Amino acid sequence: MNACLKKYKALVVLLILTGLSACNKPSYPTGKIEESVLKLCKNEYNLDNVQVKVMGSTLGVYIPVEGLVNLDLKLNEKAGKKIEDVALSIHRVTTSTDMPLKFYILTARDTKTVGAEFMLTGFIYDVVRVRLYDISRGEYFQRILRDFRFNPAILGEQKARDLFDGLNKNGALAESLKSIFYPLYIIGKPGSQKIEIIDIESKELSERESLLYIKTIEAYEPSPGFEAYTAVFPPGFNNEYLFLIDLSFGNAIKEIVSKYFYSNNEIRQRNLKDTFEQYRDSGITGIDGLPKKDLDIGWFLSRQISRRIKSIFEEDKKLKNNFKVASSQGEIKDLVFQFKFNIASNNNKAGGQRIIFSKIIKMTGTVLHLYAFEGYKGVEFINSAENEKKVYLSKEDLERFRKNEIKIEGLI
Amino acid sequence: MTFMTYRKLKMHFIEHWVKIVVGFAIITLIILAIWGMMSLESFYRHLTMAQMPISILLAGLNAGIFVFMYMIFLHGGFSKIKQATVKGQNVNIRWEDVIGMEEAKQEALEVVELIKDRTKLLKIGGKILKGLLMVGPPGCGKTYLAKAIATEAGIPFISMSGSEFTEIFVGVGASRVRKLFKKARNLAYGHGACIIFIDELDAIGRQRSFSFMGGGQETNSTQNQLLVEMDGLQEKDYNVIIIGATNAAEGILDEALLRPGRFDRKIYIDRPNLQEREKVFDYYLKKVKYDRDIDIGRLARQAVHKSPAEIENMIKEAALIATRKKKDTVGHKELSEAMERIDMGLKHRKHMTKEEKEMVAFHETGHLVVMYMLHPTDDVFKASIISRKEALGVVHHQPREELYTNNKEKILADIKVSIGGYVAEKTRFGTTSDGVAMDFRNAMWKAHNMVWMVGMSDAGYIGDYTIIPKSQLSESLKEKLNAETDKIIKNCLKDVEDLLKKEWPIVERFAKELLEKEELEYDEIEAIFKECGKSHSCKKPA
Repeated sequence: MNACLKKYKALVVLLILTGLSACNKPSYPTGKIEESVLKLCKNEYNLDNVQVKVMGSTLGVYIPVEGLVNLDLKLNEKAGKKIEDVALSIHRVTTSTDMPLKFYILTARDTKTVGAEFMLTGFIYDVVRVRLYDISRGEYFQRILRDFRFNPAILGEQKARDLFDGLNKNGALAESLKSIFYPLYIIGKPGSQKIEIIDIESKELSERESLLYIKTIEAYEPSPGFEAYTAVFPPGFNNEYLFLIDLSFGNAIKEIVSKYFYSNNEIRQRNLKDTFEQYRDSGITGIDGLPKKDLDIGWFLSRQISRRIKSIFEEDKKLKNNFKVASSQGEIKDLVFQFKFNIASNNNKAGGQRIIFSKIIKMTGTVLHLYAFEGYKGVEFINSAENEKKVYLSKEDLERFRKNEIKIEGLI
Repeated sequence: MTFMTYRKLKMHFIEHWVKIVVGFAIITLIILAIWGMMSLESFYRHLTMAQMPISILLAGLNAGIFVFMYMIFLHGGFSKIKQATVKGQNVNIRWEDVIGMEEAKQEALEVVELIKDRTKLLKIGGKILKGLLMVGPPGCGKTYLAKAIATEAGIPFISMSGSEFTEIFVGVGASRVRKLFKKARNLAYGHGACIIFIDELDAIGRQRSFSFMGGGQETNSTQNQLLVEMDGLQEKDYNVIIIGATNAAEGILDEALLRPGRFDRKIYIDRPNLQEREKVFDYYLKKVKYDRDIDIGRLARQAVHKSPAEIENMIKEAALIATRKKKDTVGHKELSEAMERIDMGLKHRKHMTKEEKEMVAFHETGHLVVMYMLHPTDDVFKASIISRKEALGVVHHQPREELYTNNKEKILADIKVSIGGYVAEKTRFGTTSDGVAMDFRNAMWKAHNMVWMVGMSDAGYIGDYTIIPKSQLSESLKEKLNAETDKIIKNCLKDVEDLLKKEWPIVERFAKELLEKEELEYDEIEAIFKECGKSHSCKKPA
């Protein structure tokens, strides 16, 4: 009987050990992340036009959505459901993988309204924490970056293509812009010019501005008297342009610069590629909707805090009545966070500044503490509404302020 | 597969079907749990695994709380078996402490020797002692003797009460017996031997009853398990000795318990005799400060039929009374008061009229004088006219020694003592009270029994007429028997009247003393009789 019991025990232990070892395997192993997200979206949510890309520790997912925005430019409910499904797939994969992923970016773009996009950017550890009830759902929503906007790069590219199409068709338009698109419309016979875009690169300069670097092939028949130019600009020559797009500007194209220009009786050329490269791209996704760089926690926190600054004064009724928030931006440069905001006191009371800075600094200290983020030297707060009022705190001072060891009066 | 193999497998299944089914269920559950876990995403698997220790802890805690609440609210608290194990040396009751039971002690000493010399005994092929049954009235030191055996033998001692085994659930008691013996065997393995002491053995040792309704099954199963553990088929024989104690008559216990191999040795522990009582008094008095002039012999006489526990209680009570009286030592008066308090209850003074009080004083004096002058066996230890319980007065008397039979003279003296109160009342006041009712009942009952039951009438009626149905007795015989009863009463009455008439000054004297002091102690009573030139009628003990 004892031997029988021993056998039973051995069997039970063996079963448990087998089970435990099987339980240790990740559901979505490294190398199968993209495949897993696609499979989940397709099999469980019937979404088959999803694209996935892993860039370092950032998982990017793109989904084109028809009718992302309603006529009133608000997020469509059906589109919102699709985004939710994709987000859930991302959460499931990122929490059950052995790949050290840190961030995810979900981009949904409208296939009808060019440039309209919805982006969700999140820290994967936050997803784990909310699932473990380590943070509340309210706090979790504050931690996600949600952007619903018109992408200046995409919109700019569309505008540029439309413009070139217009130039190819409309002689009058070309005539009016012939000095900009030098030399094609100077040396070419009217109606013979054709511009073909062979490449477009774009950079987001800000929320509303983008810079496009466009390469073209330009064909033409020389106008009488300009045949000699065919030696310098043979038909089908390569040209380049820089387009500066500003969504707040009339037709969005603020400025166009071509590679060639005529000055002091000679044809000169600019190095547009170098100029283009000199600009910093503030966008995180490319034209394809997938990440073009690996996100880092400093960038993520600067964005999150800048949004929290707005929400402090917009969500609290009392603060909302007393203060007006115009803008809030954040970035981290050389290990220093810089938060530039425009918050004005409605009643010009003396204590307004104290309240503004006190709330913002406290919140910043708390967020950085909650993320246990140590990779910074200090934080600079600038209120452009109050004569560029600046407050700078080192990392140690910020922590002391959080612990109420420093008073706001000593800082402003 | 041969037919035999099939039969063996079937037999194996029948024998172990519970284990097989439980094992199968456990394995199936484990497989299902693993399957379930594997179908989860690794995040939830890890979450479940991480939560497992706390889940187990919480489940344990919940179960603990549930059991605690269940026991508290539905089971009257934790009546769980305690199985207090004590090392023999720690019991710390030595032979010298066991007093007042010399014979029992001798027998117990033998038991200790047998436990100690088990190996020797086995070598010469002697019978190993399994159980020892101590029978006797309560408070006579059965537990005490068991503890002394443990101390002297120097082995572990597990003490339990029979009632700890009884449960409403069938099988619980039996399981407790199994656990108890398992523990005892372990201790015996480690220490060479172990004593299990089961107090109030009759709780589980009563004769088994078999009811078609199932009543008594629990007690039966507990006792069956006890029988099996004591003399059942065991893999190895351990030196476990069971000592049972009971105050139930031997006939009450199940015969199977008393057969050789179980409780094969019996020790009768009775109440102590006069000499033993003296030793008990001496032993317990040494534990308190007492007056050196206390007559221990007299105390021992006074405490006839008292168990050592009652004597101990009496001395403790006396110490309390002495403390209350702010005395440094316990005197005879306190001991007497304590005994009286235990025997007769607390005093509670009633407000009586002077006439009533006088009536009571003469009534009690009647009893007292007749007792002193005519009773052949009893001593008067106290006379009192302070009311206790329903009695307005009392004359406290005890035989000088244990008497197990009553002769005719003693019964007649008892009758005379009973009617002494009546005669004194009538002589003094010319009338009587209803305080004589109980006295008459006693007197009549005794006289009636003398004639009807024990052939003590002068007319020569021999035999117990009470066993014959009254309808079968002739009226004339009944009349004759009753006439004999009446004659006894009347003769006794005449004797008492003669005595009290003759000794009326002594009666008056005692009544006066009682009215003054309310209570008279043995010494005072003796002194007055001596003063009056009277001596006690009873024989001195041998």
